[in-house]
Amino acid sequence: MNMLVSAGALLLAGGALYAYDMVSLRQSLVSNLSIEAEIIGATSSSALLFNDPNSARRTLSVLNESPHITAAVIFGIDGKPFASYFRNPPTALPPKPVFKDSDTQTYSFGRNQIAFARLVAFEGKPIGTVYMESDLGDMRDRLERYAEILIAVMLMSLMAALVISSFSRRSISVPIVHLAEVAIAVSRNKDYSVRATSSEKRGELAVLIHAFNRMLDQIQLHQEDARRAHDELDHRVRERTAQLAAANKELESFSYSVSHDLRAPLRHIDGFSAMLVQSYGNQLDANGQKYLQRIREGAKHMGQLVDDLLNMARLGRQDVVRRQTDANLLVKNAISNLQSEYEGRQIDWRVTDLPVMDCDPGLMKQVFINLLSNAVKYTRRTQQAVIEIGRSPENENVIYIRDNGAGFEQQYAHKLFAVFQRLHRAEDFEGTGVGLATVDRIIRKHGGRIWAQGEVNRGATFFFTLSPSGDIVTELNHG
Amino acid sequence: MDKITQVKSGVSYKRTRSHRLGILLLLSAVWFLHVATVLMAEQANEFQVKAAYLYNFGKFVEWPAGVPASQGDSFVVCVLGTDPFGSTLDSTFSNERIKGKNVLARRISKPADATSCRILFISSSESPRLKEILAAVDKAGVLTVSDIPQFSRVGGMIQFVVDGSKVRFEINRARAEGAGLTVSSELLKVASVVRVNP
Repeated sequence: MNMLVSAGALLLAGGALYAYDMVSLRQSLVSNLSIEAEIIGATSSSALLFNDPNSARRTLSVLNESPHITAAVIFGIDGKPFASYFRNPPTALPPKPVFKDSDTQTYSFGRNQIAFARLVAFEGKPIGTVYMESDLGDMRDRLERYAEILIAVMLMSLMAALVISSFSRRSISVPIVHLAEVAIAVSRNKDYSVRATSSEKRGELAVLIHAFNRMLDQIQLHQEDARRAHDELDHRVRERTAQLAAANKELESFSYSVSHDLRAPLRHIDGFSAMLVQSYGNQLDANGQKYLQRIREGAKHMGQLVDDLLNMARLGRQDVVRRQTDANLLVKNAISNLQSEYEGRQIDWRVTDLPVMDCDPGLMKQVFINLLSNAVKYTRRTQQAVIEIGRSPENENVIYIRDNGAGFEQQYAHKLFAVFQRLHRAEDFEGTGVGLATVDRIIRKHGGRIWAQGEVNRGATFFFTLSPSGDIVTELNHG
Repeated sequence: MDKITQVKSGVSYKRTRSHRLGILLLLSAVWFLHVATVLMAEQANEFQVKAAYLYNFGKFVEWPAGVPASQGDSFVVCVLGTDPFGSTLDSTFSNERIKGKNVLARRISKPADATSCRILFISSSESPRLKEILAAVDKAGVLTVSDIPQFSRVGGMIQFVVDGSKVRFEINRARAEGAGLTVSSELLKVASVVRVNP
């Protein structure tokens, strides 16, 4: 493309030069002829005026010295040839030249010659005409030589351009393309270890390639730094997590063993206090019997606490084994499990259609048992107990359990799920404060959340979801 | 313009010859009559050419500033003696100018009147007293022209010579220069004879 353009430009310039030269050559030829004709006319004017063709012929004979003049004729004012000169014997006399309007000279270019005519005037009056023919061989030779030189120069400059172009291709285009390829490879493969190579040691391209490689060096360094920092962080996190898990496990096994070890002395207290009632109950007065009864209740309560704690610890160590589980079935089982707790009471169970959940069925059954057990417990004093289980209309992944029992103050809602935390006195509603903590723990292990809404004497609603999406949950929480 | 055409005597000559050839093919009875006619025609033609030459001489000769001939508003061409031109001279000169002056033809009878002329044509009728005439205008700066034979040898400046059908002239350059006149080389070039001895 570049070559074509430069060749075209050269051709155009050459053509223009040639044309200009041709025009100027012609002009100079015409002007030379004009001068010669003028001189001949001036020196022939007396010959014309005194009708002396011999003198005119003598004048014309000097044209022998001008090799390009092939013929010259002086015409009288009457239009007849007065004197003539021919380099070679003429085939025919030229016709009398005709001038346009007020022109004093005229010329016409033929293929090989130019015919030129000029009016001869003496003291402002025309007295004849000088006609000359000049062959263009000289001019043609010159133009041909000129064209040859032009073509030679053009070919040479084209060749030079070719050489320069191929040189620049090798020394500029190729390295730049190589650089671009390397840049593309780097950005595509994110491999900052490759380097562009330079065949030259000096020049702008070498500087560019060197700068590019330096940039890659920097990027590679930064990348390695970042990776090292990341690895270090990762390593530290793993370490901390492992430490944490170990500590947690230690704590759990500690609390498990503590709970377990507490059971033996507790069994002694229970067992021996039972034997005391049995063997020596009659010997105690009413007060003594009451104290003994309190001891036994305390031991029983403590036993319950220990059992619950052990249970919770066990759950904590247990892995979640997920399975597609029909929540309706879980609820049904839980209700039948709780039958003993609400025997003799009228409870309106309202269970609407529940989803199939991806969860550990054993653990989730425990969740429903705990939540429904709470509902049964806190509706004990309600005239017409209603317990609803269903899916939240705002988000079908959220399941709620609502009762119209004792409820709680919303401001303490955050305490509900902490171990041993209770919002009611044990005298009103018995309990250990472990059940909701267990529920919270199981749901968290599933990756879900649980929260509660309540109002004193108006009931409580527990919402939970096993889906980790939190936005609608938050919205519900606030609503 | 006219006189230049007339200078081409060959034109007339050719026509005349073809005319004559035509006549020769005709009856010989009219031969003499015809010859007479042709001679008259040639005679007339010859003086037309001479009149034109007289005019042209004025353009190729320079006169000294102080001579009487250069005085006055007109360029005066005089004819001394019997005028052979008839009206030709006047018609040739009408509306023509030489050196910025109107050209005027004047007929004179006394050589003494010739001092105010630029060009003096001495008619062949004056050949008997040629010496006196030339002596009278010798230093007056007058270009003397005549068709009297031997004119340029005996002290005249330009002498018309009829060569076949052509009117030519001889120049006595020494005479002209002796009178203070400068003859252009262009004129000398076309003269049939140039004499350098007075």
